[in-house]
Amino acid sequence: MSAATIQKKADVLVVGAGIAGLQASLDLADQGKQILLVESQPSIGGRMINLSKVFPTLDCASCITTPRMASVAHHPSIDLLTYTEVNKIERTNGKFHASITKKPRYLDETACIGCKRCEEACTTFLPDEYDHSLGAKKAISIAFTNAIPQYPVLDMDECLLCGACAKACPTQCINFMQEPQEIEAEAGAVIMATGYNLTEISAKKQYGGDIYPNVISPLQMERLLAPHGPYGGVMRPSDGKIPDSIAFVQCAGSRDKSLGVPYCSRVCCMYAIKQAMLLSGSLPIADITIYYMDIRAFGKGYEQFYQNAKAMGIQFVKAKVGRISEDENHNPILRVERQEDCSQPEEVTHDLVVLSLGMVPAWIPDRDGIIPLEIGEDRFVRSVNEKITPSLTSMEGVFAAGTMTGPKDIVDTIVEAGAAATEAANYLRSQEGR
Amino acid sequence: MGDHNNMKILLITTMISSYPGANTVGQAHLHYSPGTYIIRVPDPVVFPESFYMRCYEKGIDGIIIMSSGSDCPYEGAYRRLSERVARVYVQMKENGIDPSRLKLTTICTVCKAAFLKEINEMQKNILQARADKEGVAA
Amino acid sequence: MEEEKNTQSEENESEEIRVGVYVCHCGGNISDVVDTKAVVEALKKNPNVKIAKDFVFMCSDPGQKLIIDDIIENNINRIVVSACSPTLHETTFRKALTRAGLNPYLYEHVNIREQDSWVHKGENEAATAKAIRLTAAGVEKIARQDPLEPIVVNAEGHVVVIGGGVAGMRAALALIKRGLGVTLIEKGDRLGGRALELDRVYPTEEKASDIVSQLENAVRAEKIDVRLNCEIELIEGFVGNFDVQIRGKDSKIDKVRAGAIVLATGFDHYQPYEGEFGYGKSPIVVTLPEFNKLIADMPQSDKFTYKGKDIKNLAFIHCVGSRQMEGVHQPQADGRVNDYCSRVCCTATLHTINKTLDKFPNLNIFDLYKDIRTYGHGHEDYYEKASKRGVTFFRYTDDSIPEYAPSSNGSGATLTMKDVLTWNEEVSIPADMIVLATGMVPRDISNLVGMLKLPTGTDRFLQEVHPKLRPVELANNGIMIAGTCQGPMDITESCAAAGASAAKVSILLSKKTIEMDPYVARVDEAKCDGCKLCLAECEYKGALFMAESYAHVNPALCVGCGACVAVCPPRAINIAGWTLDQFDGMIDAISMEELEPATVPA
Ligand SMILES: Cc1cc2nc3c(=O)[nH]c(=O)nc-3n(C[C@H](O)[C@H](O)[C@H](O)COP(=O)(O)OP(=O)(O)OC[C@H]3O[C@@H](n4cnc5c(N)ncnc54)[C@H](O)[C@@H]3O)c2cc1C
Ligand SMILES: Cc1cc2nc3c(=O)[nH]c(=O)nc-3n(C[C@H](O)[C@H](O)[C@H](O)COP(=O)(O)OP(=O)(O)OC[C@H]3O[C@@H](n4cnc5c(N)ncnc54)[C@H](O)[C@@H]3O)c2cc1C
Ligand code: SF4
Ligand code: SF4
Repeated sequence: MSAATIQKKADVLVVGAGIAGLQASLDLADQGKQILLVESQPSIGGRMINLSKVFPTLDCASCITTPRMASVAHHPSIDLLTYTEVNKIERTNGKFHASITKKPRYLDETACIGCKRCEEACTTFLPDEYDHSLGAKKAISIAFTNAIPQYPVLDMDECLLCGACAKACPTQCINFMQEPQEIEAEAGAVIMATGYNLTEISAKKQYGGDIYPNVISPLQMERLLAPHGPYGGVMRPSDGKIPDSIAFVQCAGSRDKSLGVPYCSRVCCMYAIKQAMLLSGSLPIADITIYYMDIRAFGKGYEQFYQNAKAMGIQFVKAKVGRISEDENHNPILRVERQEDCSQPEEVTHDLVVLSLGMVPAWIPDRDGIIPLEIGEDRFVRSVNEKITPSLTSMEGVFAAGTMTGPKDIVDTIVEAGAAATEAANYLRSQEGR
Repeated sequence: MGDHNNMKILLITTMISSYPGANTVGQAHLHYSPGTYIIRVPDPVVFPESFYMRCYEKGIDGIIIMSSGSDCPYEGAYRRLSERVARVYVQMKENGIDPSRLKLTTICTVCKAAFLKEINEMQKNILQARADKEGVAA
Repeated sequence: MEEEKNTQSEENESEEIRVGVYVCHCGGNISDVVDTKAVVEALKKNPNVKIAKDFVFMCSDPGQKLIIDDIIENNINRIVVSACSPTLHETTFRKALTRAGLNPYLYEHVNIREQDSWVHKGENEAATAKAIRLTAAGVEKIARQDPLEPIVVNAEGHVVVIGGGVAGMRAALALIKRGLGVTLIEKGDRLGGRALELDRVYPTEEKASDIVSQLENAVRAEKIDVRLNCEIELIEGFVGNFDVQIRGKDSKIDKVRAGAIVLATGFDHYQPYEGEFGYGKSPIVVTLPEFNKLIADMPQSDKFTYKGKDIKNLAFIHCVGSRQMEGVHQPQADGRVNDYCSRVCCTATLHTINKTLDKFPNLNIFDLYKDIRTYGHGHEDYYEKASKRGVTFFRYTDDSIPEYAPSSNGSGATLTMKDVLTWNEEVSIPADMIVLATGMVPRDISNLVGMLKLPTGTDRFLQEVHPKLRPVELANNGIMIAGTCQGPMDITESCAAAGASAAKVSILLSKKTIEMDPYVARVDEAKCDGCKLCLAECEYKGALFMAESYAHVNPALCVGCGACVAVCPPRAINIAGWTLDQFDGMIDAISMEELEPATVPA
């Protein structure tokens, strides 16, 4: 009973609505281009909306992301599809044809008013992936408070089909029978902005990131630090204790050939420093230690940020962490090989440990399909003219922006998104004459 | 609660941060006193001292200026605002208005707890100011 | 422009104000807490309100139709909708007004959901009283509102790019391909900037000269108006309409009109002071750019000779002129230290080290660093390769900066430091030659900075509007930045920044005119007594000025912050759409003591 395929047409198809995709879309739409923006998650905003505050300004991430998200959502030239997958993009006769599937939210988006009555009525609780499973959500829920758009998703796998939500909904928009919607889109150019994933927390066996409850990922720490985070404060997962001693293990997933990630992930030094600063703000008496190889505070204002952190009393220890174990109270024990002052490896116990995980591409063409772009040795999409036109991919008319071309912080992502927008606009113009 | 309902608190919010911040509190369905009236402005620097004094004259019990602080997009506006607030305090004192009935603070788009805290504190301040006044009168 | 608006508002005074009020139930989200009928009844008593209605979903098509019909059939000329947050549906309803032929700014959106019914559950009576007051405030505001029109200025489809390095050329190319006219101004006698000094570039190992000629050929092929040996004499005007005077070598002045300006004036190398690690005192101490130039054309050999001397031990020192600490390093001419990291010098140094070893495999190389910052694509490989090739790394800190001492025979030197990598052992490094990895400083563009009041940071580089979100725009509307005039970057990053700034320019100039929000200052000339108090409050050059004895606003430069409004004694200056009169009216409504008894639900 699936509905008829919908046809769409746009100047540029943008895939991924993290800050890269948002910025590229805005930079094109503001020039009068028609954009089709496709995001696989229920909300736009990508990783950035997930963060607490951002280095080096310590702006609240939500405060600087939500206005961008709203501009995209309200833009007359941007057609936004959320909770939607791109299956395949093909180039024929200089035009791109994409087959796209809008996943069912099990409600009518045109009728939903985002009032959350369904969510209040639902009695099924699930772990909340937005809070990296630190918190709980309902089987029908809006991804997070400031999500855009404000439509819930019903998790059909967990739903009891009790109908409580449908009864509560004032617009009768819930539809348990909703089918996926197939869409075919034609576009003149494509911008890929699919972003990054963190390296697996379990990848480095010696660190037991997947075993020890108090060894956490940096994105979990971001949520703990966010003013609207799951616990409303910094507590460690095992017992809710407020940690007195917190450590960051740098390059835990980067600059490590054994993990297949030989490159530097470029943001982890800075986010660790940022988190350490925020922690020392909210837990003034806690000891905070960063075990590092090199502190790579290379961006504008970053070195000054690092020096401020040192002045605040955050301990920076040049050391390799060989192994992590834990004691009977789930306190992580680090085997620290200092590279300064002392030669003997020592065992140091902390209450909470953050593994500064690295970045890997979220979408890899030869693994995930969609569109066959060339990748580099690091598996990120490769630029064919890196120095002069970094956003140029191996396929004519396809441009790439943000962390999908390599690790990057927000400002470098935004700059690259602007550059990709320029390339796409100029490519469209060059095609007009043909 | 009865006490709180007979007071009027004016919240001056900014378009870029504290107004959306107040919406976040709403989206989370938190609760605060209905004696609160939110107005939004590009920047609170627009208000002269006389605006505040007029509010008190008209019967507003407390004013919280929820500025954008360092997120403020306008050059020099925050400094001017805080200087102005200092002058408003002087006028309040001269007119026998308890200075705790005016507060300049910074609220961002997700500062839910801080938002509620400011309102609670202002309510306490207003009650205290009323009690003080009665004390003086008696 | 202001004058037009004033006459408009006079006309409007004769027109009867007829407000329509619409209260949304939001399908129970509002009406379960707020008695919407009571709100309607209360508002009907307001003399300016001609129609008041409630409806289950105002944002739905039938809801919007209620408004449109009332505008057309009942001559309603101001609209207030009390519903959800304006961030959701303000634009929806403004569009409905436009469809009905009414000026979209005659619309006020009152938030009685996020800021009323959702936060006052269980206090229905008080929430209703609040909704009445807020809606009444909306009526007071809109009753005092004139129609507004967006500010429209001409957008000259031409761009002046200042600086002909890689960033400037890259920006110029992107802009001309976008269909805009471009004048590229370079003060030197050729295009290419600092890239001309480089041999091969990391990480692609392309010849820098190839990169430059690739860009330069494209610049020539696109017939970009390139002005070599030229500098800026004067820039006047504002976004869309800059008048740029260009001074040529012969001091002749040429004039160009531009809609926008891209600054790409680049960087200078940090110049060590005399005696900094022996620089200037001993010929064996050179900077990294000097060393690169030196070895560029040397053939491969098992011997490296410099100034007639065999060099066996070669030392590189990182962070010279960068990452300086107050109290540790000698301040610069302006009294500040360079406390920033220069970003490219770590990779550039390791790149050079590898290149040096390619040519002179027998050299002993020592690398004295604080942190190795090989952050980018392919950078780490140079570090790893250097380590594998036997380069000895020593880590120094601000507590143990390497000390330079010329050796007694005068031909070499030793660098003494505590090596923190080996238990703070004091090490003496023999060096026949020392290369200082000097950082970047901005090129001196003080004339432009002064002329245009350009913002600079404590690092003296040009300062973008927002370091995260708006990295290529300056606070000066219509002026963008590209490349190393903003801060240290490599070529890739400079070119990306150039592309991003081209996008911002294209947005501005994609149409013949630039439309801006009408929410800017407006002067009532009849009220203005010419006291000039407002002028001192305005931070935006040219936005507010005196002429004919009253204040004038240039709406293209005013940002609408309202700093001027607060100080005007006769209240002659106001922000359109946010006037003090409107706010006074709102406060009157909010402070209404008694609501009509009948309106408060039992
Ligand atoms: C712990 C941590 C803290 C950080 N803190 C900071 C900080 O303080 N300051 C800073 O500058 N940077 C910080 N960063 C870096 C920052 O997160 C990134 O620079 C930025 O978010 C990258 O944005 P993006 O758009 O490239 O990618 P993403 O945010 O990953 O966005 C990609 C989007 O594409 C979508 N997508 C992926 N695949 C598909 C597909 N096939 N179809 C459709 N959609 C798809 C994703 O769902 C996502 O929404 C931090 C990173 C981490 C890990
Ligand atoms: C030692 C060293 C090695 C490097 N190696 C590499 C490398 O291997 N790979 C890499 O990617 N990057 C490398 N870089 C970085 C690279 O040099 C810069 O990123 C790049 O040159 C910056 O280009 P730009 O256009 O921003 O500035 P510039 O090259 O400085 O160009 C600015 C131009 O503007 C002109 N100008 C200035 N002021 C005015 C004015 N008022 N009016 C008119 N014209 C004006 C100047 O004459 C100049 O031509 C290296 C840098 C250094 C210091
Ligand atoms: S940014 Fe820092 S922590 Fe991350 S990989 Fe690079 S050096 Fe390691
Ligand atoms: S890039 Fe390396 S050498 Fe240059 S300032 Fe930064 S840390 Fe020092």
